[in-house]
Amino acid sequence: MTADSYGTVLPNGIRLTFIPAAKFKTISMALFIHQELSADKATLTALLPSVLERGSRLYPDNMALRRALEELYGAELSTDVHKKGERHLLSCSLEMIHGKYVGEGEQMLRRGLSILGGIMGDPLVVDGGFKEEYVAQEKEQLANLIRGLINDKALYAVERCLQIMCARERYGVFKYGRLEDLERISPASLWRYYREILSANPAELYVVGDLEARQVEAAAREAIYFHRGPQRDGLPETEVYVEPSEVSFVEERLPVEQAKLVMGYRTNIAYRDPLYIALVVYNGILGGFPHSKLFLNVREKASLAYYVYSRLERHKGILLISAGIDGSKYEQVRQIIEQQVEAMAHGQISDVELENTRRGLINQLRAGEDNPYQFINRQLDGEVGGRHYTIDELIRGIEEVGPEEIKAAAEKIRLDTVYLLQGEERTMPHGH
Amino acid sequence: MAIKSRHSVREFSELQEKLFCYTIYPGMPLYVLPKPGYQKKYAIFAAHFGSIDNRFRVDGTGEELILPEGVAHFLEHKLFEDERGNVFDRFAAYGASSNAFTSFTYTGYLFSTTDHFPECLELLLDFVQEPYFTEETVSKEQGIIGQEIRMYEDDPEWRVYFDLMQSLYHRHPVREDIAGTVESIARITPELLYHCYRRFYHPGNMALFVAGDVDPEQVRRQVEENIARRNYRELGEIVRLQPNEPATVARQRITREMVVSEPLFNLGFKDPAVTRLEGDALLRRESAMEIMLDMIFAPSEPLFNELYEDTLIDDRFNAGYTAEKSYAFVLIGGETRDPEQLYERIMEAIARAKRVGFSAEQFERHRRDRLGSFMRRFNSLEFIANNYLAYLFRGTDLFNYPAVLRQITLEEVQLLLEEVLVPERHAVSIILPKKS
Repeated sequence: MTADSYGTVLPNGIRLTFIPAAKFKTISMALFIHQELSADKATLTALLPSVLERGSRLYPDNMALRRALEELYGAELSTDVHKKGERHLLSCSLEMIHGKYVGEGEQMLRRGLSILGGIMGDPLVVDGGFKEEYVAQEKEQLANLIRGLINDKALYAVERCLQIMCARERYGVFKYGRLEDLERISPASLWRYYREILSANPAELYVVGDLEARQVEAAAREAIYFHRGPQRDGLPETEVYVEPSEVSFVEERLPVEQAKLVMGYRTNIAYRDPLYIALVVYNGILGGFPHSKLFLNVREKASLAYYVYSRLERHKGILLISAGIDGSKYEQVRQIIEQQVEAMAHGQISDVELENTRRGLINQLRAGEDNPYQFINRQLDGEVGGRHYTIDELIRGIEEVGPEEIKAAAEKIRLDTVYLLQGEERTMPHGH
Repeated sequence: MAIKSRHSVREFSELQEKLFCYTIYPGMPLYVLPKPGYQKKYAIFAAHFGSIDNRFRVDGTGEELILPEGVAHFLEHKLFEDERGNVFDRFAAYGASSNAFTSFTYTGYLFSTTDHFPECLELLLDFVQEPYFTEETVSKEQGIIGQEIRMYEDDPEWRVYFDLMQSLYHRHPVREDIAGTVESIARITPELLYHCYRRFYHPGNMALFVAGDVDPEQVRRQVEENIARRNYRELGEIVRLQPNEPATVARQRITREMVVSEPLFNLGFKDPAVTRLEGDALLRRESAMEIMLDMIFAPSEPLFNELYEDTLIDDRFNAGYTAEKSYAFVLIGGETRDPEQLYERIMEAIARAKRVGFSAEQFERHRRDRLGSFMRRFNSLEFIANNYLAYLFRGTDLFNYPAVLRQITLEEVQLLLEEVLVPERHAVSIILPKKS
């Protein structure tokens, strides 16, 4: 079912994975550099994507780069940082129309890859540092991004819950870093930091599209040419196994119309653990779908929320439950949620719930094969999680997982932190 | 019953796609786009009934009905439930994921699945055509939608947008939140829902789009049989009444305070001329407007870079154009530390563009960018299906976009700049950080 992928290592040590897929109109490519997530490095890592995008030797300013992308039939470039467990990933990806649809040949692939390679591997360096004005402006932009977390209240509540829950773990670090670090970062120190991780940290390149392996490899060798030195041996592992001593409850107030409740659980199950697939099914039954216990009981039966779901931070072994509620109904909502979690622990799962969840999960996995970036993301999960599951392996696992294993997963799950973002007054029948 | 459906096959040779088009008695368009190699199959069944369809005339009687805000959206929620319970669960039994949405102009019910496609399609056709509303289920939904409305009330981007709509429009229902208000949805009853359902959920006012690795003829037969057994009669005319909306804006400026880190800024220009346009002419105006906005505001042009370097905008700053049958507007905006300065700089840039004009190089570059970006999106079944229907309901054809784009001239874009981006028809909406 899965297209055969082709893997090789480029001369500079970057691993290339190519996935042939004739059904897509596009060629998609992404380069990732892995770094550990840590408080003292996160802001540096987070500042890099936008500084790199601002200027490379090939495209020294944003206008030059944007025009090149437009000439490439509206290619879409995106740089960002991602958090997967206690791993921080720097990414640069590019998607463009396949040349055959616009009367262009193979040079499209080369041009796309050379933009990607130029941004990540051949940045604009002036007097031993990144360009000063770019760094200053991007520091300002990053500061806005950090301060802007508050603008999306649901995201803010989830992030606050994780910060409180993981205050003594690296996972508590925000992926965009901290405001107070920005001042100390200079164009030279940022460049020194980048040179080091570019040279020594694990890095991967992915290409998906209707192409031949040899042409992808040849183009990648040409475009991703930057020099790398000796590789560092491994990045530190994510701390997954944590037994909370007691449940912490934190309530914060803001003048908002809707309260947000976030409950953080420790699952003590890592991505590569034997119970991982049982945990995925557990999460599906509890709150991953509109047929799940949470949606059914909190929304459909009690009419207490528009959104309520659970989701896994799969590389950290954390399960989060999140709901937007009327602040005055907090106790009632929490009680219904805890009843559902308890029912799971007692193995109160109907055959229908189990079967529907299995089918839903398998459907999601298969549908993911129709999206180039979901395909890439699954490969990346394998890299970070220390275990590569094939699609068939996951599907078989989901089909075979039984009530006993789900119960075994459920018994490991402990509530750690409850976070409530509350409005300023408890009852606001008609807003302000 | 032997009712022959009309059909045709459209070749979209550039993208190597084929679209099978049918008309199912009594008057429902069905489109099937085969996507060999795709695991996912996607279907969307849509009613041409959106939040702006809040006033209409009932056939024959001359009676005029005005709906409370939020009815189309409420109806969307309520079709997901019948006497056997919740429809999500029945899709879940096939592993399918189902959903629905309501826009200003239409309501769409959809699913995607990798297995049991015919069963899912049957379920979609059945639940949308079998309404079940009671006092009890309506009252339960008022609680859920109440929380949905509260959620949007805390969303600064949603608020700044609707504040702008309220400023651009005096009376047009595009001013109102799609979900309505807690007060307006309290006025919704089962009778009202049935009444609207009978008006708007007739095959003659609906359309179905299926995309994925499917056999078009099989889909056609299945849809035909499902619709035929319901004994529809031909649909009488639905007369949608729009208020007489002046060409001017309702007010020039609105400011609100919310919990945000930085001010949000939206600048709109109302385009009243669009109501005179139909079909490709509407599509052409939209495409030309987009290129015109790109030539002033795109990240490849000087203005964006000057504003960015002065930290007045971030990379989400955007300018876009929306055109429907009864309204159209330009929207420019994003987050900014200084809305007043940003406003001045944008207005200056527009004036400068009028003086200096655009170059042929710029024009061709943006045309190429738009064409490639459009083609790229044909990876997505959802993009194709949802947009095909959105275009259909406003009388345009998604697949004509590349041809229309190629016809546009630099001269017409320059004329549009003079016509649309005029100070008399602009309004500004701003959200300021609330001081605590």
